[in-house]
Amino acid sequence: MTSYFIRRFLLIVPTFIGVTILVFAVTRLVPGGPIERMLQEAAMAGADVAASTSGFAGHGASSLSDDQIDQLKAYYGFDKPVIVGYAEWLGKVVRLDLGTSTRYSEPVWDTIKDRFPISIFYGVTTLILTYSVCIPLGIVKAIRHKTTFDNLTSAVVFFGYAIPGYVVAIALLTVFAGNLGWFPLSGFVSDDFDDLGTLGKIGDVAYHAVLPLIAYLAGSFAVTTMLMKNSLMDNLAAEYVRTAIAKGMAFRRAVFAHAFRNSLVPIATSFGNNITLIVTGSFLIEQIFNIDGFGLLGWESLVERDYPVVMGILVISSLLFMIGNILSDICVALVDPRVKFGSGEASQ
Amino acid sequence: MPLLAVEDLSTAFDTEGGRVTVVDQVSFEIDAGETLGLVGESGCGKSVTALSIMGLLPKPAGRTVGGSISFRGEDLGAVPVERLQQVRGNRIAMIFQEPMTALNPVQRVGRQLAEAYTLHAPGASADEAKGRALELLDQVGIPAAERRLTEYPHQLSGGMRQRVMIAMALASRPDLLIADEPTTALDVTIQAQILELLRDLQRETGMAILFITHDLGVIAELCSRVVVMYAGRIAEQASATALFANPRHPYTQGLLRSIPRLEGEPKTVLSTIPGTVPDIGDLPTGCRFANRCPHVEDVCRQRAPVLEEAAEAHRVACHRWRAVEAA
Repeated sequence: MTSYFIRRFLLIVPTFIGVTILVFAVTRLVPGGPIERMLQEAAMAGADVAASTSGFAGHGASSLSDDQIDQLKAYYGFDKPVIVGYAEWLGKVVRLDLGTSTRYSEPVWDTIKDRFPISIFYGVTTLILTYSVCIPLGIVKAIRHKTTFDNLTSAVVFFGYAIPGYVVAIALLTVFAGNLGWFPLSGFVSDDFDDLGTLGKIGDVAYHAVLPLIAYLAGSFAVTTMLMKNSLMDNLAAEYVRTAIAKGMAFRRAVFAHAFRNSLVPIATSFGNNITLIVTGSFLIEQIFNIDGFGLLGWESLVERDYPVVMGILVISSLLFMIGNILSDICVALVDPRVKFGSGEASQ
Repeated sequence: MPLLAVEDLSTAFDTEGGRVTVVDQVSFEIDAGETLGLVGESGCGKSVTALSIMGLLPKPAGRTVGGSISFRGEDLGAVPVERLQQVRGNRIAMIFQEPMTALNPVQRVGRQLAEAYTLHAPGASADEAKGRALELLDQVGIPAAERRLTEYPHQLSGGMRQRVMIAMALASRPDLLIADEPTTALDVTIQAQILELLRDLQRETGMAILFITHDLGVIAELCSRVVVMYAGRIAEQASATALFANPRHPYTQGLLRSIPRLEGEPKTVLSTIPGTVPDIGDLPTGCRFANRCPHVEDVCRQRAPVLEEAAEAHRVACHRWRAVEAA
């Protein structure tokens, strides 16, 4: 099994190169880029100034000479062929240098690093809340299949699943922050966050997190809850549960002593992928609540053609995704002793 | 007093098409230490009878709708579930057809074995339970028991798994073992070993066995008395010797004729019972075997036959058993 996982880890390298080379090539091939974007912004700024002073529309393109543009291109490495540019970029990535953001003119890593606390907070909170609600709820629903409780919770869970998160976000914002004023309109923390005590800080983060978390979570209960419920029901009907009861065990106890672990197998197959929650996050919800997380950063850097940041996020998210897949495999192997990866250790 | 007395047991399932009675007024008794065979084809209600005794009917669809099951004089249908839990696995144990699926795939064999013991010996220490588990594996003839304890079910062969199931059933030295087609899923050679094992264990422990099978050969090998079921009802009940020597119900006769025999003429067509079992949801009012019976008359289609004492301890549910015998 160890050799299997070593092989899986080694496979990350070619997969990573494949993913990044594709995206890198796309950023070079699509029309428009950081330089054009900068020129456009400069032109618009120039136009504003020109309009307010002399009433003449200035010509942005003339604000930089071709020489200067070439210099800029050379500075960002856009003057080289795709493969050479990619090789240089990869060479820097290997040395843990993700380049410089064209928009913020600061290292990409610093830009990304600033978002980590926010995204990890939301990612981990979502993860904990999802599993701590879905697994117990799924168990109770399986045991009380087709009762009022089961039907009612199904209705609620699917209702949340059916509404897009950003719609929930807008509705919550309008009612609870706008009309009622119970919660803040936006942001991750208050402006006076740094002046608060520890308890105050925790309270402030929680206070700001309530509405976005509800928006994030509304749709996330359905899949895991129903997976848990159906998987447990399958296992409750399994013959080994009947064996346990035939041994003299009470049904309730057989649920936890026998059926539970078996029904975690399908849940475990996706567990490792939760690691990517750290860098995902919905840009729409982040936009609505004005939270500076990864979703928003990714979206903005795409719009602004901030390709170094786009590539930087891709590096982190693709690595996490691949590690997450391996983690899932490890989880499955932990839960299910029948799973033996690789061929070396087949049972007799 | 018999060890187990099943009286007029009726078990029904609620299906989308309404309630279906799968076991209809079945009565039989098992004495301490004896082996009773319950034989019949698939779907005749023999497994459901066993599950009814154990109170293991799939809920909420299945339930016993009539009759009583008394074990050592205690009506198991009337006791609270906690009492039933004390009886299950302790006084009455059960083994199943599929040893592949009857064991928990994610738990070590040792733990599942020890659990069978500790459930009925709550004060037992982990060491005691392990010791008992080893003893049990030894008793059912599993070599290298110490190592087997730490293995998972998928690491064992089918025969081994059935031995583990038997070991689990023996954990609390039950008075009655219900064996529901325990050899059906196994190779013939393994089948013979398991039957041998059950016979030996019975001799050692003195437990009674209710052996459920569709295989008359297995009955002949193991059982002292036989109950033949057809479409949810008892067709015939007799000692094994009497049943094989002198089958009285046309169904039993058909069954026995359809077994290939070494002394038979080679390369002749094997006798079969024509027709098919009536749909359990749409049973005839008369005899349930009427549509396949060579001796059928009008009375068979009008009234259901009741069990009659045809000879000493030989009961048959057929209107025409006298005529059948004469023929």
